[in-house]
Amino acid sequence: MAKEFNVPPVVFPTSSSTPAAVPHQRRATPAPSAPPFQPPRPATSTALPFMSFDIGAAPAPSSFSAPSFPSAASGSFSSFDEEPPLLEELGINTRQIWLKTTSILNPIRVNPNIHEDADLSGPFIFLMAFGLFQLLAGKFHFGIILGWVTVASLFLYVVFNMLAGRNGNLDLYRCLSLVGYCMLPMVIFSAVSLFVPHDGVVIFAMAAVFVLWSTRICTRLLVELASCGEEHRGLIAYACWLVYLLFSLLVIF
Amino acid sequence: MQSMMQDLGSSKVAWRHMRRGSWGQVQSLCKISSYFSNLQYYFQVNNKYVRSKLKLILLPFLHRGHWTRMSEPVGGRLSYKPPIDDINAPDLYVPFMAFVTYIILSGFTFGLLGKFSPEALSLQFTRGLAGWFLQVMMLKGLSYSLGNKDAPILDIVAYGGYAFAGLSVAILTKLVWNYSYYFILLWLCFCMSVFLVNTMKRVLFAEMRVYSNHSNRHHYIFIFIAIAQFPLFFWLGHLKA
Repeated sequence: MAKEFNVPPVVFPTSSSTPAAVPHQRRATPAPSAPPFQPPRPATSTALPFMSFDIGAAPAPSSFSAPSFPSAASGSFSSFDEEPPLLEELGINTRQIWLKTTSILNPIRVNPNIHEDADLSGPFIFLMAFGLFQLLAGKFHFGIILGWVTVASLFLYVVFNMLAGRNGNLDLYRCLSLVGYCMLPMVIFSAVSLFVPHDGVVIFAMAAVFVLWSTRICTRLLVELASCGEEHRGLIAYACWLVYLLFSLLVIF
Repeated sequence: MQSMMQDLGSSKVAWRHMRRGSWGQVQSLCKISSYFSNLQYYFQVNNKYVRSKLKLILLPFLHRGHWTRMSEPVGGRLSYKPPIDDINAPDLYVPFMAFVTYIILSGFTFGLLGKFSPEALSLQFTRGLAGWFLQVMMLKGLSYSLGNKDAPILDIVAYGGYAFAGLSVAILTKLVWNYSYYFILLWLCFCMSVFLVNTMKRVLFAEMRVYSNHSNRHHYIFIFIAIAQFPLFFWLGHLKA
C-alpha cells in the first residue's frame, strides 16, 4: 500500500522539464518549515509523483542518481517519530539496571523486589567491566569470564533445583541474571586490586570480604526469589561461595 | 548355494541385531530417564546430614552406629530411606561440592606456587574427573566380579566422590602448613579406606543371603579397595604441574 510522504519536493534545476519530486532523503520532521512549500494533501496530489516506500516497490523515476534509500521500513516508515527509542526496543531499561546496581551496593539490606524480572544487560556491562579491569592488570580473560559465568550459573541452577525438589522454580535465565548482578562486588574487587600489592595479606583479606559480600547477596536473592530455598539456605550459600571464590582466583592470581 | 544361505543367515542375524539395537536404544533411554527421575533422591539433604556425613568420611572410627542402610517399604517394594533420614545413604550433594572445593583449592595452590592459569585449572578439573571415573570403574567392576550386578551406578558415583572431601581437607592443611601434608594425606587415605570397605561390604552383600562364608576372594577384594585409595589420593593430591 502506497503511503504518501509529505516532504517538500526537490526540484532539480536541470534541463528536465518535469519537476521530479524525489524525496531521496528521509526527513526527521515532516513539518514544512519552508514557507513557500505547502505539503500537498494526499487527495490532491496529481502532478507530483511521490516515491512510495514499499518493500519490493521499484523506485519509479530513474532520473536521479541519489543513493536509493533501503526500503526496509516495513510499512511503518511514516511513523518514524513514533518508533520507540533504541534502548527500549532492545529491552535495556537503564533506570532498572541502575536501581538493581545500587541495591547490590548495600550488603546489609537486600531488596529482592527489584530483581523480580531478570535481565542480562546489567550482567553484560559488569562482565565487560570485569574483563576491562583484568585487562588493565595485564590479563586477557574475557572469554574465560564468559565461559566461567555460564558454567557457574548452570551449576547453581542444577544444585538449587535439585535441592529444592519438585517445587524448585528457578529458571536458568534468572539464575544467570542473579549471578551476573552479584558479580558487582567482584568487579569492584578487581578494580581495587589494581592498586594493591599482589603478594601480601591485604589482597587475601580483601578477597574474603568481597567474596562474602557477593555470597551474601546472591544467597539472599536466590532464596527469596525462587521458592523452597529457605530450608537449604546454608547449602546454597556454600555453592554460591564456591562460585565467587572461583572468580576471586582470577583476580588474585 | 552355501554362500547364498550364508548371506541369508547373516542378513537375518543383522536384522535381529538391528531390531535389538533400536530396542536397546529405547531401553537405554528408559534407563537414563529412570536415573534422572531417581536423581532427586540423592539431593534430599539438609545441614545436619551434611555435617554428619563429613564426620563419617573424615573420622569413620568414631561412628558408633551400624553401617547398613535403612530400608522402608514403599508401595509394596523395599526401598532405601532418603539421605535425610539415614546417615548411611549416599547422596550427590557432598561429592559435587567436595569436587568443586578440590578444584578451587588446587587453584589456590597453583597460584601460591606462581603457576596459576585458567588452563592449568581446567587440566586439574579433567584430572579430578578422571580420578573419580577410575574410582567408580574400580568399584563397579569389583561389584560385578562378585556377582552383584544391580548396584545402582549413582550410588557408586556417590561413594567414589566422597574421596574428594578428604582430599580437600588435605590440600587445605597443606596451604596452611606445608609439612603436615603427608601425614594428613596418609591419615585421610586410611580413613577413606575404612569408610569405603565398610560401605562396600554392605553394598556387595546386599543381594546375597548367605553371610556365613566370607571367602578369601571377598577379603582380597576388600584389601584391594583399601590399598587402591593410596595411589589415587597421592596422584590427585600431587599438584605440581
